[in-house]
Amino acid sequence: MRLCIIVKVTGDLLRRFGLMFLWPMAVAAYYSEWTDLGGFALAGVLASAAGQTMWLAHPEREPDLRRIEALAVVAGTWLVVALLGSVPYVWVGLSPVDAVFESMSGFTTTGATIFTDFGAFGRGVLFWRSLTQWIGGMGVIALFVAVLPRLAMGVGRLFFAEAPGPTDEKLTPHVRKTAAVLWRLYAGLTLAEFLALWFAGMPVYDALCHAMTTLAAGGFSPNALSIAGYDNAAVEWIICVFMFLAGASFALQYRALLGRPGVFLRDEEFRMYTAIVLVAALFVTGFLWRAGGELTVAFRQGLFQTLSILTTTGYASVDFQLWGDQTRMILLVLMFIGGCAGSAAGGPKVIRHLLIGRFTLTELRRTLHPRGVLPVKISGKVVSEDVMRTVLVFFLFYVLTFALCAIAVILLGADLVTGVTATMATLGNVGPGLGLVGPMANYGHLHPLSKLVLTGAMWIGRLEVLTVLALLRPEVWRSAHWRAAARG
Amino acid sequence: MQIIIIGGGEIGYALAKALAAHHELCVVDAVPSVAERFGLLDVEFLTGSGTSRSLLERARASTCDLLIACTGLDEVNIVACSLGSQLGCRRTICFVSKEDFVHTAEGRDSLSEHFGIDQVIWPEAQLADAIERIIMAPGSVDAGVFAGGEIRLLEFRLGSDSPLVGKPIAALDLPYGVVIVAVHHGDSTSIPRGRTVLDPGDKVVLMGTREAMKALQGQLSPKAAERRTRLVTIIGGGDVGLRLAQHLDSEPGIQLYIVEHDHARGEMLAATLGNALILEGDGTDLGLLESEEIGRSDVMVSVIDHDERNLLACLIGRQLGVESVITRVSTPANLRLFELVGIDVALSARGAAVASVVHQIDGGRSSLLKVLEEGQAKVVELTVPDTFQPTALRDLGVPDEAIIGSIVRGGQAIVPRGEDRIEPGDRVLVCATGISAEEIRTLFTPSS
Repeated sequence: MRLCIIVKVTGDLLRRFGLMFLWPMAVAAYYSEWTDLGGFALAGVLASAAGQTMWLAHPEREPDLRRIEALAVVAGTWLVVALLGSVPYVWVGLSPVDAVFESMSGFTTTGATIFTDFGAFGRGVLFWRSLTQWIGGMGVIALFVAVLPRLAMGVGRLFFAEAPGPTDEKLTPHVRKTAAVLWRLYAGLTLAEFLALWFAGMPVYDALCHAMTTLAAGGFSPNALSIAGYDNAAVEWIICVFMFLAGASFALQYRALLGRPGVFLRDEEFRMYTAIVLVAALFVTGFLWRAGGELTVAFRQGLFQTLSILTTTGYASVDFQLWGDQTRMILLVLMFIGGCAGSAAGGPKVIRHLLIGRFTLTELRRTLHPRGVLPVKISGKVVSEDVMRTVLVFFLFYVLTFALCAIAVILLGADLVTGVTATMATLGNVGPGLGLVGPMANYGHLHPLSKLVLTGAMWIGRLEVLTVLALLRPEVWRSAHWRAAARG
Repeated sequence: MQIIIIGGGEIGYALAKALAAHHELCVVDAVPSVAERFGLLDVEFLTGSGTSRSLLERARASTCDLLIACTGLDEVNIVACSLGSQLGCRRTICFVSKEDFVHTAEGRDSLSEHFGIDQVIWPEAQLADAIERIIMAPGSVDAGVFAGGEIRLLEFRLGSDSPLVGKPIAALDLPYGVVIVAVHHGDSTSIPRGRTVLDPGDKVVLMGTREAMKALQGQLSPKAAERRTRLVTIIGGGDVGLRLAQHLDSEPGIQLYIVEHDHARGEMLAATLGNALILEGDGTDLGLLESEEIGRSDVMVSVIDHDERNLLACLIGRQLGVESVITRVSTPANLRLFELVGIDVALSARGAAVASVVHQIDGGRSSLLKVLEEGQAKVVELTVPDTFQPTALRDLGVPDEAIIGSIVRGGQAIVPRGEDRIEPGDRVLVCATGISAEEIRTLFTPSS
């Protein structure tokens, strides 16, 4: 592992990331929030200067990235970006731990917040919060891959190391073009939702922020009461539609847009995802109806909350902390499922559950036919044993990480429900949990160390565990050196 | 006729043997030692590649009437046919063994357009299709489908409990629209008469309309008709096995096992087929066949590219209790032997292909639909000339060696009785034993 190359490539991404701070500056200026402007300017200058310095760490113009180096660049970039993104929050008075938590929650599209009093923050800061989610939704690196004219060799590895789910399909032969296509689709959908929300009666600023955080499956809302604060059925229906799209594979949607809507039906993950949404929504609706709600309202709230939790968005159209245990249990299960691979959603992803299910059935069948050639298939395609093993290991590590983080948070003073659901909601990038971190509450009251643990959980959860954990192996660091050996 | 045969393998030899007496043959093969085998036949032999222009010129391709490319390599066959037609061959026939080229042949960029190939023959596919037809008609040992599916042909081996045994044919209670066109008794095949009595062990060939044949199957094997899912085991997942499996995989009433010894090929089969169970192992591995209870199979099809192993696999299957055993035979001489030791159906891919080519050359304007009992009988289709005066079947004077099994008139098929009339323009399906298609044709020419 050549540290100089990692630093150089990370620096290249960072110096361009600095430009991102121009957007919240423009918003802050528009609303005449002149004091907040300084925070964004400082963060932007820091990012550009640090990035430029790091870029100079290595003289070679187009270094090639090896696999482990690509992983390190991805993990490192996300960490540094989250740190730089927290500068504006510190500027407006948050403690550094809270600021990093909020920033990481943004970029990982988690949506967990430590904000208690929304009125204390300017519109520029709240816009920045939404923008971090929008960038994180499609991926920080995917953004740069899409806009940079020339990239280091092996940059495709970066793109796929960051992409959610066990897929590595390219829509076009070039990674750069694939990233650009996906970003264009993502931006198009965001624009569509923005217009829809605006027509449905939401103020322009709120519509923009919500459009960005819906498509990112993020869940930050500039309103302290989340979507419940608007009390608008049309808004809820619109957001339902776009949450559903945000949780489905963007690659699939792109194919469908090219005039092949049949791909939706043929894709087993999408069918499973739709089935989960419908079944869970019906159950939640049923429980709410039995508890005395009106049927249409119960269905709208049931569907909204199902989609919000399954796609790991984390909006609340109602305070589901007040619902019965049966309904809340369903929401917990949904947190552990997540959206589709190649979407903006977090969680373990539908396809991994599907693969594990198929794998289990296949192994049962193998006991009957020990000499049978029994591959695991998804959508008619054979899943290689390598992928299957990675999926199994992913689950093991996911559960392990979950357990360790939950234990830590509870030992640091959280109650059982709060500790478990807070870990689940951050590791799965969902956002709100239950108990004291419910949809109308926040993470502000947790122990500072707990906040750091959960910040780590969000980071690990977004980068899908293995990417990060691979870097913890001692041999990676034993082989680490600053200068690349001279080429013969 | 002047004919060039590229490739001196089994197919080339069988063709040369059948054609050498009446035609001027030139055989081309790259391996000089092959020449020895052709020495006994009255043919010219050239050593070299069929893809060489100069060699084809030496074989007088410019004046030849027919070029048949039947080497084991599809690419060579295609190039040879292409060169031949450029040099001036009047007609080219190309043998292929891979699906890729056949797909090309059906598409827009057809082989005929780009390479001047007039006919593509894919023996393995023909074999797979033949086996599929037999499997889909439980209890049959041979099957055919003609006239766009309107007319079906089935061959059964009669057991002692068969309802067809022991009575004169005229007294049998066959469904309307079914006729017995041939009977194989002992070593000879003949056309039955009304007074013929069938014995257990005989094989009978029946022809009839689609509905009538369905009724007949219900009569002959009521057990097979009511069984829900049938287990079919295919030994060997090669070209034939795969094609057969692809067709049977989606059939609702069939559960499919495939035994394949090659690991990579097994994975490919498992990836291609949705429902079939692929077992990795040798088809002659008794332990494997026993532990997987292959004996429960209703049908076992052995299509390894190796006669001895096929025979062994079939015998093991038979021993384990498989109801019906079907196998592929590469060397036509082994056909009889296989049936002697109790294999229900033994088919030769190349044999059928060679017969169809030979018939094209020697059969005049009739077309060969089916060869029965290794050539002892055949089903040919003739078109009644426009000059023919409508005549009732019984007045036609059909010789003893032939029987008119059905008439296709304007897309409709009838199985004729004595009083039915044959009209100009009809297509008649004739089953014949010791008589050529040309001789049957004379029935419809007014001068006779």
